[in-house]
Amino acid sequence: MVQLVGSLRKELADSLSSCRVLVVGAGGIGCELLKNLVLTGFKNIEVIDLDTIDVSNLNRQFLFQKKHVGKSKAQVAKESALQFCPTANITAYHDSIMNPDYNVEFFRNFMLVMNALDNRAARNHVNRMCLAADIPLIESGTAGYLGQVTVIKKGLTECYECQPKPSQKTFPGCTIRNTPSEPIHCIVWAKYLFNWLCSRGHCVLYLCGSQLFGEEDADQEVSPDTADPEAAWNPEEAAARATASEKDGDIKRVSTKEWARSTGYDSIKLFNKLFKDDIMYLLTMDKLWKKRKAPLPLDWQQLENHARPQEDSPGSGLKDQQVLGIWGYCKLFQHSVETLRSQLEQKGDGAELVWDKDDPPAMDFVTAAANLRMHIFSMNMKSRFDIKSMAGNIIPAIATTNAVIAGLIVLEGLKILSGELESCRSIFLNKCPNLRKKLLVPCVLDPPSANCYVCASKPEVTVKLNVHKSMVVFLQDKILKERFGMVAPDVQIEDGKGTILISSEEGETEANNSKFLSDFGIRNGSRLQADDFLQDYTLLINVLHTEDLEKDVEFEVVGDAPDKAPPPPSNQEETNSITNGNKDSAQPSTSSKEMKTDGCFMWRQRKKKSVQENPCTRPSVVLFLPKTDLCTGPNI
Amino acid sequence: MIDMIEKEEPIISEEEAAQYDRQIRLWGLDAQKRLRGSRVLLVGLGGLGAEVAKNLILAGVKGLTLLDHEQVTEESCRAQFLVPVTARGQNRAQASLERAQYLNPMVEVRAYPDRPEDKPDDFFLQFDAVCLTGCSRDLMVRVDQLCSQRNIKVFCGDVYGYYGYMFSDLASINPTTTASFCSLKEALEVDWTSEKAKASLKRTPVDYFLLHVLLKFRTDKGRDPDPQSFAEDSQLLRQIRDDVLESLAVSGDLLSDDFVSYCFSEMSPVCAVVGGVLGQEVVKALSQRDAPHRNFFFFDGRKGNGVVDYFGPN
Repeated sequence: MVQLVGSLRKELADSLSSCRVLVVGAGGIGCELLKNLVLTGFKNIEVIDLDTIDVSNLNRQFLFQKKHVGKSKAQVAKESALQFCPTANITAYHDSIMNPDYNVEFFRNFMLVMNALDNRAARNHVNRMCLAADIPLIESGTAGYLGQVTVIKKGLTECYECQPKPSQKTFPGCTIRNTPSEPIHCIVWAKYLFNWLCSRGHCVLYLCGSQLFGEEDADQEVSPDTADPEAAWNPEEAAARATASEKDGDIKRVSTKEWARSTGYDSIKLFNKLFKDDIMYLLTMDKLWKKRKAPLPLDWQQLENHARPQEDSPGSGLKDQQVLGIWGYCKLFQHSVETLRSQLEQKGDGAELVWDKDDPPAMDFVTAAANLRMHIFSMNMKSRFDIKSMAGNIIPAIATTNAVIAGLIVLEGLKILSGELESCRSIFLNKCPNLRKKLLVPCVLDPPSANCYVCASKPEVTVKLNVHKSMVVFLQDKILKERFGMVAPDVQIEDGKGTILISSEEGETEANNSKFLSDFGIRNGSRLQADDFLQDYTLLINVLHTEDLEKDVEFEVVGDAPDKAPPPPSNQEETNSITNGNKDSAQPSTSSKEMKTDGCFMWRQRKKKSVQENPCTRPSVVLFLPKTDLCTGPNI
Repeated sequence: MIDMIEKEEPIISEEEAAQYDRQIRLWGLDAQKRLRGSRVLLVGLGGLGAEVAKNLILAGVKGLTLLDHEQVTEESCRAQFLVPVTARGQNRAQASLERAQYLNPMVEVRAYPDRPEDKPDDFFLQFDAVCLTGCSRDLMVRVDQLCSQRNIKVFCGDVYGYYGYMFSDLASINPTTTASFCSLKEALEVDWTSEKAKASLKRTPVDYFLLHVLLKFRTDKGRDPDPQSFAEDSQLLRQIRDDVLESLAVSGDLLSDDFVSYCFSEMSPVCAVVGGVLGQEVVKALSQRDAPHRNFFFFDGRKGNGVVDYFGPN
């Protein structure tokens, strides 16, 4: 005889009260999820989130109120959820899930892990931890009106990394520095400019094209790029031009930051250098402007003389949504530089500022600088509101989408706890019903990919790079951490001697950092064993040496599709909502610093095999969207 | 509604701009202003009602009126999160008021303990949209008829265990869509004996017929299937299923016995899904943005299937 406790079979209800579950993230999805778990009868819940509450969260993260702004999300979420069910056992961690304290043993405590995250690095990490601990993981994501849920179980389903996700969109250096054609190029430039002026930059040497740069991060250079291949009438000329300007001690070759410091961050001098002198320099590279509209340098004095007082009077509607006149942005530039200068002065010697979209002078600076540059390059200027979306990588979000997805997460969880893994599904939430009238589309889960570089039995990849020009630290940061999602890699060379290249223990292999791979005898065909012991993950890397990479490309993973855009969505509206309602191109990386990156939009191949039930009739969208203040965006 | 906005505040405050930032970036400032000028009635504060209340309050409507004559029981505390565990015996709408208001102090939330059946017609006519949960078929039909004549948007929805639905009637002239809506009465009284209807049965979600069964149970027993009387209610459900399918002149095979043990009580995650879809439909209608779903949404929590389909004349 069936016995029910509420809607559930008694056996299921009983197992809910005894099992322990982990919720990773207490934001949009997390709040809804905690509520559902508690009401459904889960009694032992642990929730972790490193973030604090912001006022912009309050339109959907309903466990938080205005009075909680600034407090720990995990902690307040726990307190609010306990109100619905005082007998629930909730533990809150105000911490990063990537902290080594949360090792495989920690994960093994749980019957189920549910992600409610907003970035790829954490998703990759939890994916690996759950594989290592062999605990089922429910993954999910939302953006605007769209959402998705899926189940990951070692050996049974694809893991999060089985299908390659499009990498962050980046722009070539010369586009940013010389020939911007879209607002996003100017915004990226403005953020680089901020970093140049306000931070120390990296103390490591990186390679950028054919030039080796000193102290600062060459990836974020803002001054004109004299080595731009497009600029040269012939290749010898480009090389000569580059060498000449370096030898000259040409003022434009002095680092922007040094120069700025030497002028005391004088806003008008800075304005004239960036928006007049540098532009005039670009104009001398006349080949660039044969087929493009040439940029028009700005002159502070002239603009001041022509300024009209009523130019910037506010209309109705949001102040942030207005577009000022050119003089308005000149003044904004001046004002924000002065504010940032005094912030730096207050902090003292060696001070640094980190760009934050919610820090008004930082946002003002980028708004002004980006707009001035857009104007110079004949683009229509944009409001602070729109620039904030792009620069801050804001994903629009509402309560209802998160509510639906969180409901689906719990329903999948119940199937897992009932031992009905085969009935688990990937479910996609569309904005409009598909041709089969479905708004919610369940799809059968795919089995693991045999070539997955994470969950295959002995994962292996081939990486193409130049062993003479790639440094050990580059391998560690850009390849192992950023590309392959390791948190604390250890690398040894399979050279018969087990030479240790990188140790995750601090300081042990620091001396190796700025050496090149070839210095260790690494060459074409060499094999490296990379481990992340926390993730219980070993990856074998085959080195494919090449001298022949595209400009601005420092390595390639063989087998990756080149950075091509995924097929366009069938519903144009969905794209617009994901790109924050603006019609500009997708948001790319605006920083090469360590990214709190992504989640990305991933387009699934249409399945060739027939699916018994609910075949997806349009490409499904795996929605794990990026969210970061620093950079990166959905790759549409 | 546009007139109302201009008379009230054309400028959105800094506080609203900050709080609603992430949704203004999705649906735009004009949509947010229309929401801000809208008054909504929500009947029924069970699990589904609480979800809809939360979604509309967070969206930033001008006012939300909660109407529910039921008392808080132990079951209510399990079903919804607005009612404090200490509120047993109180009126459900009034007990939900405080937490509902905390969700967003910028919305005017009110609560009334009356039976919707006892409310006069003009009570319903003061709203821009009416959302009915936990209501009898007769009440829903009456309110729908009354409101849609006056351009008031009508929504209905319920959750039964793993199953849930929502219905909308936006029959009023809507400048952004040319699609038409029909009344709930017409939607429920489709004639399945016609050749055309019979032919379309194959593509018809069985959830539609399940809805008939559950609405009839509610009408006959004055309540929904109760886990405490599982045995008798299960039997009654099977009986009603037989009667309903017969009276609609469709095959008894359409609905197997399977559904019976899965339609008890309001399941929280199912309330979340249906409440999310329903809430967003209300937001779309009030903000006059984006195509509405016509005219039913059915959710099957066991399969993860969410289907939109139109039922009505022609």
